[in-house]
Amino acid sequence: MTLLIVPVLAPFLTAVTLALLSGHARLEKALTLTAAGALTAFVFWLLHHVDQNGPAVMVVGGWAAPWGIAFVADRLTCIMLCLSMSVGTVVLAYTLWSVEPLQQRHFFYPLFYIMLVGVNWSFLTGDLFNLFVAYEVMLIGSYGALMVGASKAQLRETMKYLAINSIASTLFVVGCGLIYATVGTLNMADLSARTAALHGDQAALVTAVSMLFLVVFAMKAAAFPLFFWLPDSYPVAPAGVNGYFAGLLTKVGVYSLLRVFILVFRQDGHELATQTLLVLSGFTMLLGVLGAMCQWEIRKILSWHIISQVGYMVMGIGLAANPAIAEIAVAGTIFYVVHHIIVKSSLFLIGGIAGRVAGSQELTRMGGVIDLAPGVAGFFLVASLSLAGMPPFSGFLSKFVLVRAGATGGNYLIVSIAIVTSFLTLYSMSKIWSYVFWQGRCCDAPRAAYRGMMAPTAILVLFTIGMGLWAQPFLRLAGAAARDILNPRSYVASVLGNAAPRETRP
Amino acid sequence: MEFAMAAVIGVMFAAGTYMILRPNLIRMVMGFGLYANAGNLLLIACGGYQLDWQAPFVSEGVPPTGLMDPIPPDIILTAIVINFAVGALLLTLCYRVYLDHHTDNPEELSARGREEPTA
Repeated sequence: MTLLIVPVLAPFLTAVTLALLSGHARLEKALTLTAAGALTAFVFWLLHHVDQNGPAVMVVGGWAAPWGIAFVADRLTCIMLCLSMSVGTVVLAYTLWSVEPLQQRHFFYPLFYIMLVGVNWSFLTGDLFNLFVAYEVMLIGSYGALMVGASKAQLRETMKYLAINSIASTLFVVGCGLIYATVGTLNMADLSARTAALHGDQAALVTAVSMLFLVVFAMKAAAFPLFFWLPDSYPVAPAGVNGYFAGLLTKVGVYSLLRVFILVFRQDGHELATQTLLVLSGFTMLLGVLGAMCQWEIRKILSWHIISQVGYMVMGIGLAANPAIAEIAVAGTIFYVVHHIIVKSSLFLIGGIAGRVAGSQELTRMGGVIDLAPGVAGFFLVASLSLAGMPPFSGFLSKFVLVRAGATGGNYLIVSIAIVTSFLTLYSMSKIWSYVFWQGRCCDAPRAAYRGMMAPTAILVLFTIGMGLWAQPFLRLAGAAARDILNPRSYVASVLGNAAPRETRP
Repeated sequence: MEFAMAAVIGVMFAAGTYMILRPNLIRMVMGFGLYANAGNLLLIACGGYQLDWQAPFVSEGVPPTGLMDPIPPDIILTAIVINFAVGALLLTLCYRVYLDHHTDNPEELSARGREEPTA
């Protein structure tokens, strides 16, 4: 299906047009929102189409699949695309009010769209090396979006972010080369079919190489022990953009972990990777939330919470090592990713509004926001309770599914860590609540206009309520997506067609 | 041949790591350059390498034997282009950091960062 190129090509063309329109601020803003809205509608249609008719495939340039580069959209890809585009649209609508004229002149919108290109591309691609290229496009866009405005703090943090990601990129290329040398293909479907037939020494070699990918994706997802770059760099991003960063960028890492360690590597002993992830997830959850508890700046607290939340998703992938609970664990992870992207983005957007109202991001200097902007307080209450996992919001269900999977599989240690982390999250959120919203008033009136930003934020907040109360369609979709990647037969068949299985390189 | 390649790649990765760990931003950029090229050499080694192999042009009637595998060079080309772009960005950023923070030492950079309140 040739239309699969649209989520990559359309943002790219928009970025180019926006760059040419530089200087026409209003026109730029209008185009930004229209393009994002249209693309969101398209990816939702794609989700519906794929859900009905099975995976859609496009080969670039017409070269047949294992040789040419394939773009594949299965349910998981479509879910991620929908999240990327809808959160992207919401964030863009938010930035219409929050972006400063200087930032806009510094090509803020084109850079944001380049980032969208990379994110959508990394969800769509069906080729390991092409995933690397998608990552790089995403990173180039995110460096720019992080740096826009070029304050001292931004320069410093972007430097760190760029350095850490350059190392990850090198490891990624090395991993691709070694996989090609051992298995003889980089196409994900082909890899999945070929690694499933590997035993003994060959399988052990592939497992060893797959550990390189574990490092790369864990770094992207900010899992323990590779999370140290995140809490410093995200808070310096322009308001609104950090909502997209927080929602999507680390989740690209989680998506890649799911895709590569559940679908691609299926050799004998591939469980080693998921078992490692299970151990890492415990540390990630606990250290993330402990880091959040000792912070005194609203964006830093939220950034540390990203790490702890990534722990839950990685835990779901880790639980998939046990075949008896693999399906429910992976479904839980996908459901969690959906919940997390929505809630985390909304919290960053709310944090940005609260910061504008109070004129500061330091907890001790804020206060009384519940009087100044009661709507913001309501949004924060819903989003933070959802993040901590209180019913009836989406956070409760997503944690419930994962905890139940863990308890069924007998992983009581990780389950208890997950529950403790959830309570500590609640503690840390109540700290923000009591300082920012309850403390004595910091000022007599809101320091800056904020009403325009409320509408986009409201969409995300309503979504987390809706997803908690009307969860069945989401759970069904997550379950179907999980079955797709756990039994990759239809994925492999739709990419490779009925071509006779080729022999593995010696 | 394979041993020589492995040795060269190993030395380049070691040198790159050393450079990246130096307290100097420009050396760090050079370290990334070494990393990138070590990665590219590794890709050549992965593709298998024989002196008498021909460029992979298949003509009609001639059996396609003794040809290079075209995929690794293909990957290397892409990687070179990407590394070029990222390298240019890194250098520009280093210069901007130097102009604004008056240092090219990453350790001083983070030490100064703590004093200044984040905006």
